[in-house]
Amino acid sequence: MTALTTPAVALPPANPPAPIKTSRRWGTPVAYVVAVLVIGLMLAPVLFIIIGGFRTNAQITTDPSGWPSVWNIGNYLDVLTGGTFWRLVGNSLIAGFATTLGVVVLGLMASYVLARYKFRGRGILYATFAAGLMFPMTVAITPLYLVVKNLGLMNSLGGVILPQIAFALPTTIIILVPFLRAIPDEIQEAAFIDGCSRLGFFWRMIVPLAMPGVITVGILAFIASWNSYLLPLFILNNDAVFTLPLGVQSFASQYSVDTAKVLAFTSLSMIPALVFFALFERRIVGGLTGAVKG
Amino acid sequence: MKVNHTTAKRIFAGTMVLGLSALGLTACSTDSGDTSAGGDVTMSLWQNSTTGPGQEFWKKTVADFEADNPGVTIDVQAIQNEDLDGKLQTALNSGDAPDIFLQRGGGKMAAMVAAGQLMDITEGISDQVKEEIPEGSFIANSLEDKVYAMPVAVLPGGIFYSQDLFDAAGITEAPATITDLETAVEKLKTTGVAPIALGAKDAWPAAHWFYFFALRECSPDVLAEAADTKDFSDDCWIKAGEDLESFAATEPYNQGFLTTAAQQGAGSSAGLVANHQAAMELMGAWNPGVIASLTPDEKPLADLSWFPFPEIDGGEGEPGSILGGVDGYSCSVDAPAECLDFLNYIGSADVQKEYYAAFNAPPVNTVAQEAVTEPYLKEIIAAYNAAPYVSQWLDTVYGQNVGNALNVGVVDLLAGKGSPEQLIQAVNDAAKKA
Amino acid sequence: MSVRENTSTRLEVDLANGGDTGTTPVAPPVRRRRSSSVGAKVEIAVLVGPALIVFLGFVIFPVVMAAYYGFFSWQGYGPPTDFVGFRNYITIIQDPTFQEALTHNGIIVVLSLVLQGPVAILLALLLNRKLRGQSLIRVLIFVPYVISEVVVGTGWSLMLQSNGAVNGMLEKLGLGAFSQDWLSNPDIAIWTLMVIITWKYVGFAVILFLAGLQGIPEELPEAAAIDGASFWQIQRHITLPLLAPTLRIWAFLSIIGALQLFDLVYIIWGQYIASTAGTSTMATYLVANGRNAGNYGYGNAVAVVLFLISLVVALIYQRFVLNRDTEGAITDKGTKK
Repeated sequence: MTALTTPAVALPPANPPAPIKTSRRWGTPVAYVVAVLVIGLMLAPVLFIIIGGFRTNAQITTDPSGWPSVWNIGNYLDVLTGGTFWRLVGNSLIAGFATTLGVVVLGLMASYVLARYKFRGRGILYATFAAGLMFPMTVAITPLYLVVKNLGLMNSLGGVILPQIAFALPTTIIILVPFLRAIPDEIQEAAFIDGCSRLGFFWRMIVPLAMPGVITVGILAFIASWNSYLLPLFILNNDAVFTLPLGVQSFASQYSVDTAKVLAFTSLSMIPALVFFALFERRIVGGLTGAVKG
Repeated sequence: MKVNHTTAKRIFAGTMVLGLSALGLTACSTDSGDTSAGGDVTMSLWQNSTTGPGQEFWKKTVADFEADNPGVTIDVQAIQNEDLDGKLQTALNSGDAPDIFLQRGGGKMAAMVAAGQLMDITEGISDQVKEEIPEGSFIANSLEDKVYAMPVAVLPGGIFYSQDLFDAAGITEAPATITDLETAVEKLKTTGVAPIALGAKDAWPAAHWFYFFALRECSPDVLAEAADTKDFSDDCWIKAGEDLESFAATEPYNQGFLTTAAQQGAGSSAGLVANHQAAMELMGAWNPGVIASLTPDEKPLADLSWFPFPEIDGGEGEPGSILGGVDGYSCSVDAPAECLDFLNYIGSADVQKEYYAAFNAPPVNTVAQEAVTEPYLKEIIAAYNAAPYVSQWLDTVYGQNVGNALNVGVVDLLAGKGSPEQLIQAVNDAAKKA
Repeated sequence: MSVRENTSTRLEVDLANGGDTGTTPVAPPVRRRRSSSVGAKVEIAVLVGPALIVFLGFVIFPVVMAAYYGFFSWQGYGPPTDFVGFRNYITIIQDPTFQEALTHNGIIVVLSLVLQGPVAILLALLLNRKLRGQSLIRVLIFVPYVISEVVVGTGWSLMLQSNGAVNGMLEKLGLGAFSQDWLSNPDIAIWTLMVIITWKYVGFAVILFLAGLQGIPEELPEAAAIDGASFWQIQRHITLPLLAPTLRIWAFLSIIGALQLFDLVYIIWGQYIASTAGTSTMATYLVANGRNAGNYGYGNAVAVVLFLISLVVALIYQRFVLNRDTEGAITDKGTKK
């Protein structure tokens, strides 16, 4: 793959030119059919959850897989007007934004140093961060819980935010260091000749140039924080500070009599993540593409 | 290249703000029992009733107590029963314990006492309460003659059943022996209902069957010994496992019992009984209340009845022995003095009467017991009082570690995944993990 | 766009070499100012400091502490005092429940690769052409990946109950005979888990492979087609080998993810019956025998074992598989030096 990129440097666009229609045995209709089928399979469970919220419990018991006979919006209204759901969303938003900010700021600063300074121990430092990929949350959770407890951060969002930042740093640094290293040194030389300090160079030039990578990294961090379950499970005991995944599970077990309401709650809790993803889809997929593409 | 210096500055400022607010959030941990200068006291209460009447009971009781004791506020948290033990343990050893919480007793309480987490209320029990609540109930919540929790309900175990379904299957007498029970199971199968509902997903309901077989097979001395030394080498344990195995081989349980929860939802084992889809369930005396919340009209089941766990042939246990938990409420060691007042309050006759009315479970307070009307509750109380030997649920007695292993081991046994010997082995292994 | 190309090259090299690309710069060599001045050192400290402190404090330190606590028998109250040496580790290795969990993890690793890989490749090949709405298709395929595992677990477990939607649908279609105990039958449960995992993560694989496919210039398959190669020959000899680096990265992520699987199993099967149902993983074993049983020393030992297994697998994979990208015949890294 890498061999082919060298000539590609000379070619203008990253997108391949429009394909000439060759004599493939599989024409486009098959692709569409397959796509529709796959999408159907992907979305069927999601649709089940969403539609289930519109039914009543009696309906669900008698006909588990049917269509609602009457579109009963009571469940959704109950969830939306009750305070629980919004409190959970609020907590998740706070945790998500704080984590993202921390990851971006700390990660960018550290990546800048690792990418553009030369000093002894740089390799070790980089390897330390990269080794963090080997420590998933599951491995570290018990001692991490003890650390958080000893810091007095139990039952607080801070106790969730700080570890999330820490665990997101390896991926962030691994993605950002190449981005930053690729900024041509001529720009750096020119800036220094113009009297810019190294830190000024960081603020004025690096941050804007690294923006695509930063955005990708930020989005990935936000989604990871939004969906995180294990860490809040250990740290947050008081349901006033629950985040959304914890809230969904707690709601599901508390109201398990009321299957329809649980489905309504669950589908509403999917929506923020889906909306976020829809808004930033290009960036997320583009970011993954850039990270892997040859 | 136009670089926005101001943007950079803003980002930096924003970081600081959010960073500081994140740190500020760390201060927002739950307060437990702080007392301000004006004498205002706030306490937190963790209880395990998440549905209807139970929650109402606590709200009302707390409101009444707050009215009688101005300046005291109690924050009630309803925690799903299955999550309670884990969360409580986490809260206790992170120093963030609630002030008042459900206490199951036994080895679980012993662990808390050993860690110095419980308030000793021996001296603080009011005389009135001491008169009205029998000593046996206090003993269940004591360790070395010190009382650590106020008992509120005595919850012996036995088999709850639907009289209507029994009639439909032509069963005229409550089964007295295991053989009778197996006959009843066969009759019920012909009518199309599940003979016995079992909520094995939560493990302990399945384990209750094993505990009762062990109660029948093992002498009281062996049981007491195992509580002290965690020694399960006596043969009676294996025999109990074999009894359970052969009983389970008659396929008396509802389909899919492995993933049936005990108390959550209409598909739970209690829900099956509530909706007449299963005829029997082996449970503690909290069950009528749980079933009541799961019936279609959310009222107590009209034809609910009860008989004690059948006897077996042979066995060294004393006939008529019964297993039963005593639910109580403990104060955390750091709780304010008002916590003790609250415990005395919930032990008093009037509150106990309301407890019984809300939970449909036998209260410990003898004055309140006179108000009990349901025939099955009266039978339960009678059987409890007449029992020659009473033990708490074995998983409570043996503590969280061994108890969990025991529970899971029984589920494996019922799923055909292990033998009685492997069950005992798993229990012994658990002791090594502590 | 030269930034993009260099980025990707460096990323692959980074992953394979553990990060040190100091000796293989791709950009024209430029003297970087040697950062030995005091000012530079201060800058380094200030910039790296916060990240390093947070990382050491919340990642490295806990893992080291896990190793330490693993040598004790400890219930979580106060400091650990009961030193037991390697007893916890020996218990873990000998515990049949752990061995089962390990086996399950192995099955999940293998099945994830086997089920998701070919399906995703086929889908990517089929979708890698100018389709109207390709962007929409990509978004919709990716949806399950975005939803949290808790939501996925809750929704699926409701659908898979004995009287749930899946069995209901089967009955409606007249296939009632196929109704199963999807969750509690130990023979089937692991396959149910695999279906759910595949559903959730295949979209991610498809997106990754699509990206990889788009890096293959059209001229190559077209030239082969003109030379008379069939569709499948083209895929086998041109497309797949060029897709191989992407495949390897995806496989790496998939393996590590499978070894660490927790959320889905815990939500659907709960803390007690996962092992009975045949779906327990090392992570659920950790939580069930550590935190839930109050055995904090033992739980930490399990965590260390889980870490070591992941580390060994990752190192072996890096050494034997990912390094091919830097030394393989299809690259000409040599000319860049």
